[in-house]
Amino acid sequence: MSRLRLGLTLRIVAVLVVMGVAVFPLYWMFVTALSSNSDLFASEARLLPDFTQFGVFADALAEGETLTWLRNSLVIALGTTALSIGLGIPLGYALSRFSFRGKALTTVALLLTQMLPEALMVVPLFALFNRFDLLDTLSGLILANAAFVLPIVALILKGAIDGIPRELEEAGRVDGARPLTMLVRINVPLIGPSIAAAAVIAFFHAWNEYVFAVTFIYAPEMQPASVGIASFIGEVGTPVQTVMAVAFMFTLPAVAFYLFAQKYVVAGMTAGAVKG
Amino acid sequence: MTVLEQTRAPRSDVRPRRSPLGSRWTPYLFLAPAAVFIGLFQAVPLAQEIYLSFTRTSLLNPTRSTWVGLENYAHIFSDDDFHRTLVTTLIYVVACVIGSVGAGLLVALLLNRNFRGRGVARALVTVPWAAPGIAVALIATWMLNPQYGIVNRFLDAVGLGVPGGAILDSSTYALPAILVTTVWQLFPLTSVVLLSALQAVPRDLTEAATMDGAGRWWTFRAVTWQVIKPTVGLLALLMTIWSIRRFELIWLMTKGGPVGSTETLVIDLYAQAFDSKQLGTAAAIGMVGVVISLIVIAGSRLVTRAADKEGLR
Repeated sequence: MSRLRLGLTLRIVAVLVVMGVAVFPLYWMFVTALSSNSDLFASEARLLPDFTQFGVFADALAEGETLTWLRNSLVIALGTTALSIGLGIPLGYALSRFSFRGKALTTVALLLTQMLPEALMVVPLFALFNRFDLLDTLSGLILANAAFVLPIVALILKGAIDGIPRELEEAGRVDGARPLTMLVRINVPLIGPSIAAAAVIAFFHAWNEYVFAVTFIYAPEMQPASVGIASFIGEVGTPVQTVMAVAFMFTLPAVAFYLFAQKYVVAGMTAGAVKG
Repeated sequence: MTVLEQTRAPRSDVRPRRSPLGSRWTPYLFLAPAAVFIGLFQAVPLAQEIYLSFTRTSLLNPTRSTWVGLENYAHIFSDDDFHRTLVTTLIYVVACVIGSVGAGLLVALLLNRNFRGRGVARALVTVPWAAPGIAVALIATWMLNPQYGIVNRFLDAVGLGVPGGAILDSSTYALPAILVTTVWQLFPLTSVVLLSALQAVPRDLTEAATMDGAGRWWTFRAVTWQVIKPTVGLLALLMTIWSIRRFELIWLMTKGGPVGSTETLVIDLYAQAFDSKQLGTAAAIGMVGVVISLIVIAGSRLVTRAADKEGLR
């Protein structure tokens, strides 16, 4: 009995340690943001946030470009989501419901895009954007990000449509509905959760994207938050607390959304991307 | 007459005015927008990179390239720095895969029990995966700060402190630090996926095995492992491919330094393109990465197929 007790205690301790390890860095970001200068550079680290310093978040928002950065990130992320979902639904539908020549090749090609590094594609995309005047624009970033996240989105949505019985479409067929009507009227409403999951993935893919943004954007007022925050690394002018406050405001929506949509995102990832 | 009509009936079906799912062009109509889009922004750039890898091209004048055949490849493969890059990439990828799948499996087994607060534990464990890479690089750099970083304070307190504390400036400790950060970010995904795979393990079978006096390790190997093996394989493949192409975390934490000790293929490629301005060499390095990924994918297919055949016997 006591051995059982010991095992249980060990298990609880292990779970707590894992949870601590998972959360600590983001907690530390929060604590650092809410530290007074004397605490920050004291010889003994202060492990708890100092809530009297809460004004740092207001300062961070007031400071320079923070709001512009977040606004640009939002525009890029929303645009990427809309474009990749808009193109991903018909692609997923074609892969799920039709058999056609080139289908296997299409699926393999979608999976293979997963191994192409952004850093490799930066140079040719730069040349392409240069030709079409897309450098230094948010639309350029939306196009590049959507191209990279579209395969995952399409595979997730294909998996979701696979799960909808074809019989539901039979009724529509008898009524003479066209495939597009059936897709929009019958399938789309039923795969709502998967669309939401794919949208979350697309949104935060673009929200977090860095390589394209840092290469294609010059104008400070066009920078997204990822580039802005990365510019803090190794820079000494801005107070650490402000840096951490900005980074925390950048991180919080991503974490909150994932926690909110976790169930669907995981199901979508395992069904679409992992299983293929 | 009726017989004739019946035999004819299928023929008229060959070109129906409206077949059940529209004409045979219908799938291509659904496919076309996405295919054009992916073609323009993925396939065409990839083709251009393949071409560039056989040319000498400068970033300063990218429209003028000289065809040099295999010169770039010959150059990088005879370069000792590139050999080190390959070795670093290998170490990084293998350690990432073992670390993230191993840690994910341990956490999944830990959470695969009923206890109060399991939902909260599962949700909190997902947090690192959701955190943006930029923010992770930033907080990791701050936590590893030689003077004020919490990591050094902790290591000093337990007597394991690195002299001077400059972990990211040390060619010995920078790569392990980046590895720990990467695994921290990846283990939530592997553990959540493995946790769902563990739901397929028949409870009564593991219980029966334990009743029969089988040890935990034996039960794990004989029952649990057999069920989750395909998932582990898929995760290992996915982690391999992702780790070969990972850029921003390494770039933002060390830029490949100190003295190239954290330079993976993708870091090398970016530095060649934008610091040395050698687009041809950069493209060749990128192609090496792409070919390695292709080999890994093809290899895993073969292994899976062999395993399937084994299972059929």
